[in-house]
Parts: sequence; structure tokens; C-alpha cells
Amino acid sequence: MKIIAVIPAYNESGHVAEVVRRMQKHVDGTIVVDDGSTDTTPEVARREGAFVVSHAMNCGAGAATMTGVHAARLLRADVIVTLDADGQHNPDDIPQLLTPVLKSKVDVVIGTRFRGPKNTIPFIRRAFNCIGNIFTYITTGKYVSDSQSGFKVFGPKAVQALDLHLSGFEFCTEIIREIAKHRWSIVEIPIRVTYSEYTLAKGQSFSGGVITACKILLRTFLR
Amino acid sequence: MIIPVTTESGFFEFTPYRVVVPLLSFVMIAYAWNHVLRGTKTIWEALLWTLFWGGVTIVVLFPNWLGFLTAWTGIKGQANAVFAITIGILLFVVFHILVRIEQMQKRMTDLVRHEALREAGLIGRIEEDEHHPK
Repeated sequence: MKIIAVIPAYNESGHVAEVVRRMQKHVDGTIVVDDGSTDTTPEVARREGAFVVSHAMNCGAGAATMTGVHAARLLRADVIVTLDADGQHNPDDIPQLLTPVLKSKVDVVIGTRFRGPKNTIPFIRRAFNCIGNIFTYITTGKYVSDSQSGFKVFGPKAVQALDLHLSGFEFCTEIIREIAKHRWSIVEIPIRVTYSEYTLAKGQSFSGGVITACKILLRTFLR
Repeated sequence: MIIPVTTESGFFEFTPYRVVVPLLSFVMIAYAWNHVLRGTKTIWEALLWTLFWGGVTIVVLFPNWLGFLTAWTGIKGQANAVFAITIGILLFVVFHILVRIEQMQKRMTDLVRHEALREAGLIGRIEEDEHHPK
């Protein structure tokens, strides 16, 4: 099976090189989707051997992820691994996440920060995630312990059918909706995360989280 | 216009408001389940939609059931009813504008994506592969 990693990146020139380097031994190819960065993110990623697809303007994490999925399909990927470019995810967790998909047991694997190894996660992050899980459950009818995780593995069925419309951070909830809609089987596997001042600053703010939640609810009714 | 209809509990005022809103609710619920059949809406979303419009119908047909709410909103008064309907219309307009903005945003994203994939040489590559399969 051809395994391709998709990394959406926006102004990540300081971190993307290490992420791409550490990915390479676990996957057959890496696609970095440069989401309209104003720094040297695409050049740095290309230098490390990643296939770079560049958005002409910043469209959001959801749009960048979907572009990566399109690119992976065109490169004949059977399995897609998504993870963040800021270095918070540990690429050495990939084999563990790949196993259920490669054994054809499940369609989607979600890396969860809230089970298994004790991760040092700030309280506010835990609270955001809890709210995100509740909104995700209300709007999709499916409960997962880490609905906002960016570290996921999609098996062949999901690679072919995944169709995301939302551009911003709300795409994480849309992925759970896709899982519910297509009745894909899922499993949650604990992952390790490293939070730094940098990764925390890159995440969603409180107001951003509220806007995302409203968009999710509105979308549910207007779709 | 008031058409009195005898019910077990006495008289039921069948006003145009009480005819139009349930009909509208029925159309909206049918619309949602039609989308489920076409695969564009999940069953869960249709259930939420049904719950919402069903609630609207119940409030319209049996306002006394939600006496505390009607007392709180003051919707029983004519002026307040006009006020509530105006807010409802404005909310609909805002929703409509938001949908249009989302559609435009989606089109823009599709355009940016297509251009990005073309510049990366992927779209040309797949078209070549399809015309000359190995």
C-alpha cells in the first residue's frame, strides 16, 4: 500500500524541516501544502524532499488539508496520514496508527491526546477540546475523545470518498461527520504531543473557538 | 380570521398563523429527509432539523404548553408578535447571506486549489496518465 503524509503548513519555516525529516522513514511520500505562507516554508519543505503544493493565498487549515488529500489521490495514495506542521505531533507514533488500517481492520484512525500516555496539556486546551467534542457529538451524533486532533490516518475507503467543504479549523468536526455519514469504522489510538509556547500561539484563540463552534452549528442546520 | 374548531379541551383558534407555520414546518422537514435520501444530509442532522421544526409547530399550535416562554418573550401581544416575526425574518436574511458567503468562499478555495495542483504538475500528470495508461 502506498502511504502518503499530508502536512498543511502556514508560516512554519522553523519547524517543517524537522517534521518532514522525521516523517520520511514511516511513509512513502510527504506532501506539504503551503497555505499561502509569507516565509520560506515551501523552500524549506522542498529542500527536505517533500512534494510541495502551494496555495496562492491563505485559505485555512481545512482547505489546505483537502488540497493535500486531492494531491495524494492524484499521486495514487492508498493510505493518507495527516499531521500538524508545528512539531507538536511525534512522527514516531505513525507505525502504531498505521497498523489497524494496514491490517484492514478500520477505515480511519484518530490519534488521541487524551488517552494513554500522560501528555502535559494546558487546562484551556483540555477545556476547548471538551467543548469541541460536545459540539461534534451534537452535530454528528458521534462521540470521540479527541475530535480536534490533526493526527489521523485514512484507509483506502476514506481516501477515495473524503470530501471536506469547510476551510477553517471546523474541518476536524467535518471529518467526524464524514465518518458518521459513510459509516466508516474508526479506532482511537493514544499519541504523544509536545506543547510549546509556539504551538500554543499557533492554535485557536478563545474567540476563534467560539466562532468555529457557531459555524459548526449553523452548518448543521443550513447544509 | 378566526375559525373556531371544537376540541376536547374546548375551542381551538385556527388562525392563518397556525396553518401556515405547520405547513412550512412540514415542508422543511420533508426537505431535510429528502436530502438524507439523496445522501447530502446525515440522519442525525435530519433528526435535529425535525426536532427544531417540530418544536416550532408545537409552540405555534399549543402556546400554553410553553407558557413560561411566551410570558417571557411576550409574544402574545400583537406588537411583540410583529417584533418577533421581524427578528425571525432578519435572522433568515442573515442566514441566507452567510450561506452565500460560504458558497463564494468555497468557489474561491476550489479555484486556489485547482491552480495549486496545476502548478505542482499534478493535474496535467493525471490527465496524461488517463489518456496513455501504462
